[in-house]
Amino acid sequence: MTTETVHGRIGAARDDLTTAQLLAVFAFAAALSFALLFLQEPLIHDSMHNFRHAAGVVCH
Amino acid sequence: MLVDYLERGVLAGAIAGIAYGAYMAVVANPLIGYMETVAAGGDHAHAGEHAHEAGEHAHAAGEHAHAVSEATTAAVSVGSGVLWGILLGGVFALAFYFLEPALPGRGRVKTYVLAGAGFLTVSVAPWLVLPPTTPGAEQAFDPTLRIAIYAGLMAVGAVVAVLSVYAYRRVSARSRPLGGVAAALPIVALVAVTAIAAPTIVESGSMPADLVTAFRGLTALSQAALWALVAGCFGWLQTRAGVHSTAERRDDLLASP
Repeated sequence: MTTETVHGRIGAARDDLTTAQLLAVFAFAAALSFALLFLQEPLIHDSMHNFRHAAGVVCH
Repeated sequence: MLVDYLERGVLAGAIAGIAYGAYMAVVANPLIGYMETVAAGGDHAHAGEHAHEAGEHAHAAGEHAHAVSEATTAAVSVGSGVLWGILLGGVFALAFYFLEPALPGRGRVKTYVLAGAGFLTVSVAPWLVLPPTTPGAEQAFDPTLRIAIYAGLMAVGAVVAVLSVYAYRRVSARSRPLGGVAAALPIVALVAVTAIAAPTIVESGSMPADLVTAFRGLTALSQAALWALVAGCFGWLQTRAGVHSTAERRDDLLASP
């Protein structure tokens, strides 16, 4: 299968990796973005206060 | 192959993240600390009519300053900056793996096109309605709604980026400059619509306007630099690993059979 089309790339990824591996990758990215961008738990949120201002993401 | 891309993306993101962490430590932390003082000390600088308003900002800023120590905030913010680079690098590599065949340009140009699209999606589009907030700023709506608006604008930014690339590919076959114009149209439309229709959510309060502009400019430039660094390092790692697209190999063969 050619890997020079978007469909080809999706097919190649399916052949190369198990569903569990793909899930692990996406879960890791989701967890990291949740912690950095959306977690509102006060202690963690506030300790990232300067970062959130500097990166221009939604803050308090 | 996907794993190779991801590996290079995370490595590129770590390099960019360390640079961004250094920026957090050397520039952003002291600057935001200073701006907190300006926000808190607003009532001393502005007498009379602004005094009450500035006092409220000072109260708001004070609440946040006390939840954790300043040293913790500074250290965790630097760490978050490094993680932010790793996250962007990883997501960039995953997107690049799947979208590489659809991106315009050759070789490393593709990485910069995707970085531009990422910057537009993650930062620029949301900032058109929710500009980077300065310490002590007053914001309309509750955080949950603002997060929803931010996420919605990220989706809008992604759609605009896709439209832009699609327009370029359609038109550039006839003329490259016209393709550039076609690519710019969706972005200009997005800026125009948000400028006219979006409500003002962030009010910078008593902070001097020049300082707010400088802070926003610095925020935009540092995020753009982070994306450029991710794309640059990723492209360099791809070249080092000897990855070339089929189109390039074909062109190379045609040039020197």
